[in-house]
Amino acid sequence: MPETKELARHRRERIWMWIQLMPVMTVLVVLFGGALVLGVAQSLGFAPWFGVNTFPDFSYFAALWGDVFFWKSLGLTLYYAIVATLLSLVFGILLALALVRTFPSKTLYKYLYKLPLMIPYTVGIALAVIMLGNGGMLSRLMAFTGFIDDPSQFPQILKTHMGWGIIAVYVWKQTPFVALTIYAVLLGVGRETEEAAAILGANKRQIFFQVTLPQILPGIISSTLIIFAFNIGAFEAPFILGGGFPDTLPVVAWRYFNDADYTLQLQGMATVVSIALVAGVILYSYLAFYRRYERRIGRN
Amino acid sequence: MARKTSSVALNERLGPYQKLYLLLVAGFILGPFIPLIIQSFAFRWAWPDLLPGTWWLEQREKSILPLAWDYVISPYSQVWEATLNTIYIGCVVTVICLIICLPAARVLARERFKGKPAFEFFLSMPLIVPEAAIGIALLMIFIHIGLAGSYTGIIIVHLIPTIPYMIRMLTAVYQGLGRDFEEQAMILGASRWQILRLVTLPMLLPGVVAGALFTFLVSTNIFLLTFFMGQGKIVTLPTLLFSKISGGTLDASAAGITLVVTVPGIILLLITERFIKEEAFGKGFGN
Repeated sequence: MPETKELARHRRERIWMWIQLMPVMTVLVVLFGGALVLGVAQSLGFAPWFGVNTFPDFSYFAALWGDVFFWKSLGLTLYYAIVATLLSLVFGILLALALVRTFPSKTLYKYLYKLPLMIPYTVGIALAVIMLGNGGMLSRLMAFTGFIDDPSQFPQILKTHMGWGIIAVYVWKQTPFVALTIYAVLLGVGRETEEAAAILGANKRQIFFQVTLPQILPGIISSTLIIFAFNIGAFEAPFILGGGFPDTLPVVAWRYFNDADYTLQLQGMATVVSIALVAGVILYSYLAFYRRYERRIGRN
Repeated sequence: MARKTSSVALNERLGPYQKLYLLLVAGFILGPFIPLIIQSFAFRWAWPDLLPGTWWLEQREKSILPLAWDYVISPYSQVWEATLNTIYIGCVVTVICLIICLPAARVLARERFKGKPAFEFFLSMPLIVPEAAIGIALLMIFIHIGLAGSYTGIIIVHLIPTIPYMIRMLTAVYQGLGRDFEEQAMILGASRWQILRLVTLPMLLPGVVAGALFTFLVSTNIFLLTFFMGQGKIVTLPTLLFSKISGGTLDASAAGITLVVTVPGIILLLITERFIKEEAFGKGFGN
């Protein structure tokens, strides 16, 4: 008898627990699941509201993937995302390593470096326009120091497929994010292990690569996952600062959706699904790779 | 000897390169704001002058149309409208997010159950699914159910990127809280409601404030989802700025609007530095 009572109480607690988890789960399942189901269905030809219903129909994917410009767009998207992520990572780690040291005006600096985290990407884009444009501040400074005497001689940074303007905006915004995440991890683990390594005679390089780096690795992984996913799906910076056709995939998708020919929306949805697929595959293999590494070094 | 090398390898102070690096980063982050501020006061700024040839104030009386800051504060620029929209959406999103995340964070901090890691991974999905993908797909749905271009639609999609942060910060708070105090109160005969009101909430408050501030911050910074869902009918500060600079040029009024868009970030930075400890981020993102 007491056992069944205990069991009933246990069951009540479980139910209560799931009730508490319910609201947040519902929101995400409905929004995510809805978007996923509709996105995939529509990219496969299910759009009765346009009078199109040829589900399942792979012709939209075939048309999209058969187009050489899709692959050029994909290449550009990945190029901007990867370069910006790597640069932010390196600059962010260096910044975090400097921040754990003590230095005068550290309090002020800790306010200052977080500013880009607090403001929208569009501000970063405005700053890129005023700094890096051909009539921008850097160009003026170069003219002032006598390197160039005409705006057209200034190397084109914005509106090219090299995309240094886009990358500069991403790095400007994401270096503080990486630095903050890794700085927090560094504060959490403390310096005892580094001290131990130093006493045992390790040099600076050994301490960094064999002690510090493995400790901050979880922070590195999570922050790069987040910024890489963001960079793949980013729209505003490539739209304003990019070199035009071929655009990055999110811009391509957006153009399909704003096309007067509404049947192109299905192609747009195929583009959207492709973005999600590419991001999913890359992030999943990245995580799987990291898990294997963790297991190899003996962290569960 | 050993002690000497250790003190060299583990210097608490900055090395000369690190000092230089910190200066460069500060210049990279803040430097561009200098020409931006100058531009917002300029009327004519020809290449290659380092300062504008004609300032806005000199032309102010001669021009029929409002210039530079006059334009920014005039109703034509929609700055006030966008600011109010941003604050309104941010507040509603924060409140809803708090209400749905508090119970879930409590469970995640205290209970162990089957499928918990999977559930936690699911909750952080919004951080790693590209915004463009989710935004465009949801836009299609929202157009059909009539939510596109409405406040409700924008508020709903803002929940997606804010939930993961809120959950992480609140879970960290609950983990730090422990169960002892609530049990003590229960033993002393307090009711569930009394425990919540007199014990749990006061102890949670600092963390809740931090989470709310952070959620508000994330919401005010969202561009893409607002841009897609707003359909041009509802402007917020990021989308307003986007429409001003989408041509790839920046005149005095656009520079002024950029500065206005920066102000809420500065205010939030000053407040959050007091409320959010750096360690909280480590707990949130470290795993």
